[in-house]
Amino acid sequence: MATGFFTDATLCIGCKACEVACKQWNELPSDGFEFTGNSYDNTSQLSGTTWRHVDFVERESIDESGITASWSMLSDVCKHCTNAGCLEACPTGAIVRNEFGSVFVQPDICNGCGYCVVSCPFGVIDLIEAVGNGDDAGKYALATLHEDRLNDRKTAVQATGGVAGKCTLCYDRQRIGMVPACAKACPTESIQFGEIEELRERAKHRVETLLERGVDARLYGADDVGGGIGALNAFFLLTDSPEAYNLPVEPVLPSTRQAMGYAAAAAAALALATVGWAIFRGDGTDA
Amino acid sequence: MKSYYDRPLLKGPHWGSNVVTYLFLGGIMGGLGLISLLSDDRPEPEMKKLRKATRYTAFALAAINPPILISHLGRPERFLNMLRIVKFKSPMSLGVWGLVLYSGAAGANALRELADDGVVPRMLRFVAPSATVPIQALLGAFMAGYTGVLISATAIPLWAAGKRHIPAFSVCSGAASASALATLLSTLQGNHDVIPRLERLEMAAAALEIALVADFRKRGGAVTAPLFEGRVGKRLRDFTIIGGIVVPFALNAIGGAFKLPKSIDALRSIAASTLTLVGGYVLRESLIEAGKLSANDPHVAFRQPS
Repeated sequence: MATGFFTDATLCIGCKACEVACKQWNELPSDGFEFTGNSYDNTSQLSGTTWRHVDFVERESIDESGITASWSMLSDVCKHCTNAGCLEACPTGAIVRNEFGSVFVQPDICNGCGYCVVSCPFGVIDLIEAVGNGDDAGKYALATLHEDRLNDRKTAVQATGGVAGKCTLCYDRQRIGMVPACAKACPTESIQFGEIEELRERAKHRVETLLERGVDARLYGADDVGGGIGALNAFFLLTDSPEAYNLPVEPVLPSTRQAMGYAAAAAAALALATVGWAIFRGDGTDA
Repeated sequence: MKSYYDRPLLKGPHWGSNVVTYLFLGGIMGGLGLISLLSDDRPEPEMKKLRKATRYTAFALAAINPPILISHLGRPERFLNMLRIVKFKSPMSLGVWGLVLYSGAAGANALRELADDGVVPRMLRFVAPSATVPIQALLGAFMAGYTGVLISATAIPLWAAGKRHIPAFSVCSGAASASALATLLSTLQGNHDVIPRLERLEMAAAALEIALVADFRKRGGAVTAPLFEGRVGKRLRDFTIIGGIVVPFALNAIGGAFKLPKSIDALRSIAASTLTLVGGYVLRESLIEAGKLSANDPHVAFRQPS
């Protein structure tokens, strides 16, 4: 049974309880404070140590009553794609699909190569830099990350070289029948957790209801998003175009480009080998 | 244009100079595999010398390149995690196996040369049947090209848009750099007779490389701006396009067309080869640095290259 999230922008009040609950449960360190001036959003983005991020989209509209401003908030999260770029790119097999259909990073196997980071079409997964390694030396105390949760003593050691981090869809909570921390903490049920097919049904009803009320509502990722990615196990209800929430309109699964790449490399290699053969051995004195 | 406060949509690469060096040396390893094949089993003494030089050098690079790759993992022993699986969908996984197999083939071929020279017992020749030479060349072509496939099979718009061009000009750059390195080694060996051939190979690779880079620039449009404009673009133009391709090509053409005095010709050859090697490094460096800039522009990431 695949589980996932249905995150509804029309119900989000921007309280960031999801961000806090996620940080608390997963023992994720702070990313530091930066005052962005971008509405109420000082989190800015998902990161290796921020697995829920609330977008604050500010919009202006002009009508007979003058200028009105409106907000649309949305809690962004890892999409747990049907065909996941990070999972395909991972050379160690650290990123797997677990029994709940979620894309999960096994931190004791990840070796910090960083290939998943550039292979996510949604810019979700990132490296959690190691303690005493690089500019962030001492900033993070990662020794406890996942250690108790996954009961894996290797994890703490592993983390000292940097590991990839992203939403686990609260794998540990799901295994003991609990709801993920963000969905549990959400006071408005903007984040709904459940069996994916049921969530899709619910989302489609919700969009119909909203459209009847004259709300510009659309689903993102409930069905195939294109580009070879398929549907998203964490999908969204938006009231604006995807760009407004920093979501790609046309995401593409990176591995789909490989065949063309190998073919181009082979063609160039063959051309050079032919020319080289003529230069080195084309004088008729071949031994 | 709509965006979320112009915040980056994608995450850029965490890769630095050790990865750039790995990509650069991987290209050279690939090119040396080709030169080793081209000079294989030839009667001319200059070809024999070249063959030995390329095989020993390829083996030396196969020995130093993995530690460079491993150094970016933070903890070296974690490299072994790459060897848990073979994953055809991951160019990073295939590349690691390519590197391992290439190192084996390069080691076997170097050992055969050592056995022929009597440095190690002659009976050790059995580890390197003649098939290992074309095998090393094939794996070499893979080594030079897969890094281009690796970066274009990502979400970074600049790299993704180069899915045809980047792997192809990576191969060319690797072949040109390997020819340049072989030229330098031949100069050191006093093996001057083989240099004209190496320079012609280098010119062929450089010509194809610049044609592909120019075509990428022309077809890529706005998404290629981080590679060809600004700070990265200037560096690429100065050190790779002009300094690393056009100038060495001209120097090699002069060397091929005119009979220069020996000492001047040696200087010309050394200058051309050095410039080509610098250009090859800067090409890889520019690709990685421009990839970081490309990741920061959300507008090119909303509609991703197919």
